[in-house]
Amino acid sequence: MTKSKIVSVDEAVAEIQDGAKVALGGWIFNSQPMALVRALIRKRARNLHLIPAPGSIAPDMLIGAGCAASTVCVFISFEQFGLAPHFRRQSESGALKVHDLDGPGIAGGLRAGICDLPYMPVPDLGTDLPKFAPEHYWPLPSKEGERKMLAVAAIKPDVCLLHAQQADEHGNVQYLGPPFFDAMIAQASRRVIVSVDRIVSTDTIRRSNHLTKLPGAMVDAIVEAPFGAHPTASPSLFRSDGAHLKEYVKSSASSETFGGYLDRYVRTASPDAYLDVIGGSRLAALAVSETNLK
Amino acid sequence: MSANPSLGETLAVLLARDIADGEKVIIGTNSDIQLAACNLARRMQAPRLWWISGPGGMVNPTRDHLLSTADYENVESAESWMDLPVMIDFIDWKIHFFDFAILSALQVDRFGNINTVVVGDQRKPKVRGPGTVGISALCGLAKRFYVCLTRHDRSAFVPRVDFLCGPGHMEGGDSRERMGLPPGGPKLVLSPLGVFDFAPGSKAMRVRSISPGVTLEQIRDSTAFDLVVDGAPPVTAMPNDQELDLLRKHVDRRGDLRRKFP
Repeated sequence: MTKSKIVSVDEAVAEIQDGAKVALGGWIFNSQPMALVRALIRKRARNLHLIPAPGSIAPDMLIGAGCAASTVCVFISFEQFGLAPHFRRQSESGALKVHDLDGPGIAGGLRAGICDLPYMPVPDLGTDLPKFAPEHYWPLPSKEGERKMLAVAAIKPDVCLLHAQQADEHGNVQYLGPPFFDAMIAQASRRVIVSVDRIVSTDTIRRSNHLTKLPGAMVDAIVEAPFGAHPTASPSLFRSDGAHLKEYVKSSASSETFGGYLDRYVRTASPDAYLDVIGGSRLAALAVSETNLK
Repeated sequence: MSANPSLGETLAVLLARDIADGEKVIIGTNSDIQLAACNLARRMQAPRLWWISGPGGMVNPTRDHLLSTADYENVESAESWMDLPVMIDFIDWKIHFFDFAILSALQVDRFGNINTVVVGDQRKPKVRGPGTVGISALCGLAKRFYVCLTRHDRSAFVPRVDFLCGPGHMEGGDSRERMGLPPGGPKLVLSPLGVFDFAPGSKAMRVRSISPGVTLEQIRDSTAFDLVVDGAPPVTAMPNDQELDLLRKHVDRRGDLRRKFP
């Protein structure tokens, strides 16, 4: 029997070096790997190069806490709550280097990374993206009558942080909702760390094996982190916490108030203490059930 | 019918009217107006409209209220569910798979190019926007697209976008084709002040109709380039009672459009 892949949240991020290329999974207010992000901030990670799937608070909090030197931006948004506050501020001040990539840039780049190819061809769509990210996009020769093509550079994250609903000790990860870009990110990354809301037995995994989107061989570490995506949703288990997201945006108005936010929710709080600060009734109200449909 | 339509309701109805039965469409993230337009069209002239959500990969969810297109409670009511790595081949590479997409923007220009990236210089922007995601590919590869803006001023309607991330008619004329893009481009731009299309030949933005109570002068003052005007543009036909009734009872029961876009 192989050794269990289950580790604590702090053990999981311990080997992430300053300056690492860190990919983040999920989608905007879904499955942001927040327990892992908070652990990275507690560890005082520095100069990270972020590669987030379309995201919100996971890249924004790392940027706000001073952990990031650069980020890829496919889409970073707080949707109904506005623009991502720290991403916006540090981009506008010039402190944060932003590599704008479009869907073909990230998808083609990850595919090239997965396949050990230097680049993937994508159609040249006539945008300004290559002008501002020439290290990611360059023209490819095309024959008469063919579509104009660009190369997009392979993307190979050193590590990726993902959140899913359940896994077993062997690292078989099951998604009970949309997996978004997570499987592609995992395939392209050198090291794959996944937090899950619950650990289940391998028998449970086998009974619904079609839900296993990341088989154990693709996964290096599993962290049990109930509500580990909070304040974003873990599809089918709990919803996003709009009140907390608003509080985050409000607290981001100044470095003092944001320091207060980090002290309260991140710096001193272990994953268990975090849930205590959020509060049991608050978390219970986020659980997905037919009786609390809003 | 009770209250007058809100801006969000009007935009949803105007878009819904332009959708044909059996078309294939993609809806992105944070898309209340787009989602309402598609679900309303399915209740009206386009019952076989096929729509898929960019993030969730769900097809034709049937909720009677508006939820995020990535939301699990929306996904639960869908008829199918495509994994993103499969779907992106249709989004990012394939020509004309989608009949249309409906997009929002920080800026739109005279030739219908759009910008969701930055206002100002990308390296030190005045406003840092959310980014490009599928917008480049949908503007470039769908048969047509719509631009739907909830504000109309000189900072949104600009001569040339600061960062072109969604190709419209590029430099006008046949420049889009010369760039090697497939036929397509923007069909309509909708704003609180009116509906706009693109003049044949020049492909420059043209006033198609004007919102009730708005003057051509107002539109010109709020637009930082010269609009094409052919004759006297008509007043936009506002949502009728039947359209509003369907929208409020079957598509947006919680009144999100009225609340978010009054």
